[in-house]
Amino acid sequence: MKLLFKLFSLVTVLSISISGLLHAEIEISFRFNDAGQKEMRAAIDEFEKKNPGIKVDLQRIAWGSAREQFLREAAVGEGPDVVHIAQVWTRSMGDAGALYDLNKLIDKHGAGNGWGDFISGDLASQDDGTIHAIPWTVDTFAMVYRKDILEKAGIKEFPTTWDGLFKASKQIKEKTGAAGWGIPSGSGPTNSIWFFLNFYWWSNGWSLVDRNSDGSYYVNITPDQIAEGIDYYKSYLDSGINPKSMLNVTNWGAQELIEGMVRGDIAIISTPENVMVQIESAWKARYPQKSNPFGSAIHPKKSVTFVGGRQLGINANTEHPEASYKLIKYLINEPVYSKYYAGMWPAQKTLIKQLPQVASHVGYKKQLILARSWGSYSTGPIPIPTMWNWVGRGAGSVFIGEKTSQEVAKEIYNNIKNELE
Amino acid sequence: MKDNKFIFYLLAPTFFFIICFYIYPTIYNFYNSFTDLNLFRLREGGSWVGFKNYIDLFFDPEFKRVLFNTTIWLTIVGVFVRIVLGILLAFLINSNTLKKYKLTNLFQLSLMIPWATPSIVAVVVWRMILDPQVGVINQFLLEWGILTESIAFLADTSYVWPSIITIITWNTLPLVTLTFLASLKSVPTDLLDAASVDGANKLQRAWHIILPHMMPSIIIMVLMSTFWTFNNFVFVWLATGAGPGTYTNVMATEVYLRAFIDGKMGYSSALGIVMASIMTVFGIIYLRLIIKRNLREIF
Repeated sequence: MKLLFKLFSLVTVLSISISGLLHAEIEISFRFNDAGQKEMRAAIDEFEKKNPGIKVDLQRIAWGSAREQFLREAAVGEGPDVVHIAQVWTRSMGDAGALYDLNKLIDKHGAGNGWGDFISGDLASQDDGTIHAIPWTVDTFAMVYRKDILEKAGIKEFPTTWDGLFKASKQIKEKTGAAGWGIPSGSGPTNSIWFFLNFYWWSNGWSLVDRNSDGSYYVNITPDQIAEGIDYYKSYLDSGINPKSMLNVTNWGAQELIEGMVRGDIAIISTPENVMVQIESAWKARYPQKSNPFGSAIHPKKSVTFVGGRQLGINANTEHPEASYKLIKYLINEPVYSKYYAGMWPAQKTLIKQLPQVASHVGYKKQLILARSWGSYSTGPIPIPTMWNWVGRGAGSVFIGEKTSQEVAKEIYNNIKNELE
Repeated sequence: MKDNKFIFYLLAPTFFFIICFYIYPTIYNFYNSFTDLNLFRLREGGSWVGFKNYIDLFFDPEFKRVLFNTTIWLTIVGVFVRIVLGILLAFLINSNTLKKYKLTNLFQLSLMIPWATPSIVAVVVWRMILDPQVGVINQFLLEWGILTESIAFLADTSYVWPSIITIITWNTLPLVTLTFLASLKSVPTDLLDAASVDGANKLQRAWHIILPHMMPSIIIMVLMSTFWTFNNFVFVWLATGAGPGTYTNVMATEVYLRAFIDGKMGYSSALGIVMASIMTVFGIIYLRLIIKRNLREIF
């Protein structure tokens, strides 16, 4: 009887353990940094339905702190399983040992329509071929403008030169009272002026970092040329075309810009497409009867902008690489882009072709054709965030009259030159 | 002997935490300050560079500005404003006029609001109040015709430091005021009565009796406020991000920028050590005062 009882107990304990194991759920975390948490949660819910054994905890952090926070966490074995990162961070994060080597997972499960179909694949991998992230979305900055305000100011076509843009902005200010080009001129670590300065420099064929054919890096810009760009943007502040309050605005998608465009206080901004989507939604919500007054165009002088984008990486400390990769594979496919992550172009050529184009957004398509990758900026020895901070802080010092553009230009030039040497 | 063992066991957990969370990180940081440890190559570790980080630091023109901002603006001006306003408010709350109109409790209660507000929330709220487009201060000044164009309080060099000091003062003033109020309430009334009989007016009583009586708590609050302010990161970082340019960069934000933006952990550690050394001086003064005071109370 005793033996029978023991056997019965053993069988019960074993069956409970086995059933527990069979029904065990894997819980992974995904840190997604963009707006649209609700939509992304809906996308994740669909993923969970399709993969009943996996639960996803959706986390959020501001883009401004995302990189440092993840590096700190990863260094001590913590952090989310799947991480949403700017494409220019991947290589340095991979170097820091914070990201999982994805090569084996890609070989085993594949990725999209093959690695060659991804845009910015070079930024997701190291020189030795180690892949540290999967390109998720691409975007670029284009000029967004209020057609009605430009018309009121007597401007029939969007300007195509830097001088032309300045004159048009001045005309808008004088004739309508609205700011011309509203340039966010704040100088925090993720400032916008870094992008606008590079657009100006690139359109003139200059570049902070370039690569020789032998693989070495050099500064392809003079201090005078650096100063010219800074002076150009300073002239907007000095002449009052860009209000001084813009010194308070750092982010290219700041509420001040969105609200300014909707209210008509600002006539022109340069911003990624997802911000234009937010502007149009805000307009539609406020004035449902009125037609969409927004248009988009390429930057002056056919300026090259950058192919920006986001990538998805897996934390090097994850205990669930397979489940994490499953989530990434789901996120890089339709219907995520069209249904849950609108305003973002997929980082895959075949998917871009399939997605429909909104008429007012035509400037983005044109600008994407002209856009370049961060290339030598990204592969070079100086992390982009470091240069980003130098340029933003330097320009900020010039804007407030603390330093001259020549002084700052020399500092930026010397900093980059010293690091490259 | 048994007692000693018992005491040792009682103190052991405290020592364990002090070693783990204070002594070890300090020694580790001190070691890092002599290396070229980089955020982007953390797993490789840093190589020994001797005093290079300290030499670079003292020859860096940015360091002079950072030291100036931290010492003069953040600490001296910030602490001075807080102490003076704290004393004045304590006098006001303790005044017969407020008592007469039964407003003392209301004043004391309203002081709790900023105290109960977390620093992050305080900065966010103040950013909105000071905002050039939607901020109430600008709207008020524009509507009343005092301004013709809104002011970017947190981006204009003429206003940015006073704005930061305002935010810090708003959030931290209650503790200072309540401490002074407690001290004020403990002034012996017979002393004040005697001074009145001798013909001392209100100002003379405040200067010769009340303030000397409050002096120990004023000194302690000055030192404590110096500690809290000198090390503070949250207020400056959230309010201005150390900008415009690097105009409001202070020691704590410089440590962050160098470590997590530039990736120079070694250099940043050296900065941290310099910062800690300065604070140690204040710490020694504080400890001496406390020990002196305790001894006086004992004997």
